[in-house]
Amino acid sequence: MNPLNESTLRDALRAVVDPEIGLNIVDLGLVYSAAVRDGVASVTMTLTTQGCPMHESLVEGVRTVLLGLPGVTDAEVEVVWDPPWHPSMISESAKAGLGIA
Amino acid sequence: MPAKAGKRPAKAPAPSPGLASALAPSVTLPLRFVLTGVLSLVAGLVLLAARPDILASYHYNQYVVAATHLFVLGFICTIVMGAMYQLVPVALETRLFSERLARWQFVFHVIGVAGMVWMFWRWDLKQVGHFGSVVGVGVALFAYNLGRTLRRVPHWNLVATGITSALGWLSAAVLAGLAVAAAKCTYESAETLPSTNPLWAALKALQGTANFVNRFDALGVMHAHAHLGVVGFFVMMIVAVSYKLAPMFLLSEIQNERRARLGLWLLNAALTGLFFTITLRSPWQAAFALLTAAGVGVYLVEMRAIVRARKRRTIDWGLRYFLTALGLLGFLAVLGVVLALPVLPATEFTAQLETVYGFLGIVGVVSFTILGFLYKIVPFIVWYHSYSRQVGRHKVPSLADLYSERLQVIGYWLFLIGLTVAATGAATLREAVVRVGILLLLASLGVFAANLAKMLRHFLRPQLAPLVPARQPELKTP
Repeated sequence: MNPLNESTLRDALRAVVDPEIGLNIVDLGLVYSAAVRDGVASVTMTLTTQGCPMHESLVEGVRTVLLGLPGVTDAEVEVVWDPPWHPSMISESAKAGLGIA
Repeated sequence: MPAKAGKRPAKAPAPSPGLASALAPSVTLPLRFVLTGVLSLVAGLVLLAARPDILASYHYNQYVVAATHLFVLGFICTIVMGAMYQLVPVALETRLFSERLARWQFVFHVIGVAGMVWMFWRWDLKQVGHFGSVVGVGVALFAYNLGRTLRRVPHWNLVATGITSALGWLSAAVLAGLAVAAAKCTYESAETLPSTNPLWAALKALQGTANFVNRFDALGVMHAHAHLGVVGFFVMMIVAVSYKLAPMFLLSEIQNERRARLGLWLLNAALTGLFFTITLRSPWQAAFALLTAAGVGVYLVEMRAIVRARKRRTIDWGLRYFLTALGLLGFLAVLGVVLALPVLPATEFTAQLETVYGFLGIVGVVSFTILGFLYKIVPFIVWYHSYSRQVGRHKVPSLADLYSERLQVIGYWLFLIGLTVAATGAATLREAVVRVGILLLLASLGVFAANLAKMLRHFLRPQLAPLVPARQPELKTP
């Protein structure tokens, strides 16, 4: 079993896909930090825009994924607007797919 | 302020109060408006296919007025109202003031519009006034409900300003419409009723209104009323909402806030002037038509900048519907200036150009925009209802998976060609050509209905697949 760290959390969170853009939230650059301490997974994330209609669905999806990981007993998801999301935060490989230089 | 969510069992995630999509009203509220609106559009197009002379004749007769109100109130207003109940709370991060009030408004709206269109067709203007008052009650409930919702907006912005302006113009359009209906009625009973009768004061007020409105040219008043409704409510709503939705869907942002604001206020200023100058049939209407075109122009420049700054390479077909409508809006803004020129000769052709101007405005700009945004709004409503609780549990379809893009493209071309053919038939007074154009529009609508059925099917049969954690970025662009 992989140890739980930021990398494994981010891998797991790739299962959460923004249904409008069709890109997972990690490669979209929405996940600012992810950590596990004493079985509690904490994720700090943002959304592409304030008032994003997918807000609740994505946050609930993140929590569901975290709580489904072996060894995670609790999950906290914090949505922040600072720094605001910008398309430059999309991962390089995803940028190529979206046609961003 | 950050929103924190946590410490909830994985098996029963409940909506988090304060989060954006939890702010949306129940799914049945906007959908009843959307479906009623689409049915009205079908009814309107069937009517035009059966009676193409409505378009291929001068527009000041009872059938044109009835058909126009079927499109404007039955189709466009109904859908815009439903969409606003869905979008305003979500886009402006607040909660709808009252869903109950919205459901009552729907009842008033449907009864009022159906009766009004029917009575226009029979040219019974007293009953038009009665049913129009029922519509007016509905509009008042709508404006009150959204007004109270807007008062709770935590971050006032350009979008809120635009929606507030549109609500103001809608109220003005309804009042002007009721005044026009009042002016076409007679009030003999006001002379016979005793002044103690409670109806006497109301009849006297209506008589006074009629006397005042009848001082002006009837056609001018009707055109002014139409501009308040179509440009004031619909175009203003399009401007306001697109400042939020276009950047959201294109992964872009407003490029110049001052320019965006300028476009909105130019339109507000122009509409005020247009209303008075069209009512008075003043040559100054050309100046305000030019100011309207300037407002539209500034808005289009900002939209072009937003589109150019997008981070999504692909522009989906829902947005292409909308962008095509914007192209038409630019064309009509120029045509509006030409039609307002005092030197324009009053010929049969220029009179028909006014019909084309109205037709392209209502069925072209506004309907194309609505169809485009319905491809965004309906999938979201369906997806939210059927899949939002399944994110992270199952592989859920994306919004674009809920409908057929192929059908969407076919519908686009059928609509665009149908619009062009019908407008050409109207301009040249050829009924057969109008009929062909309307049949193409109906075919486009049939295609849209098929796609709508595909989307709504997900209510009954959600398509869930086992979750496979994705290690590689998904590069799909719908």
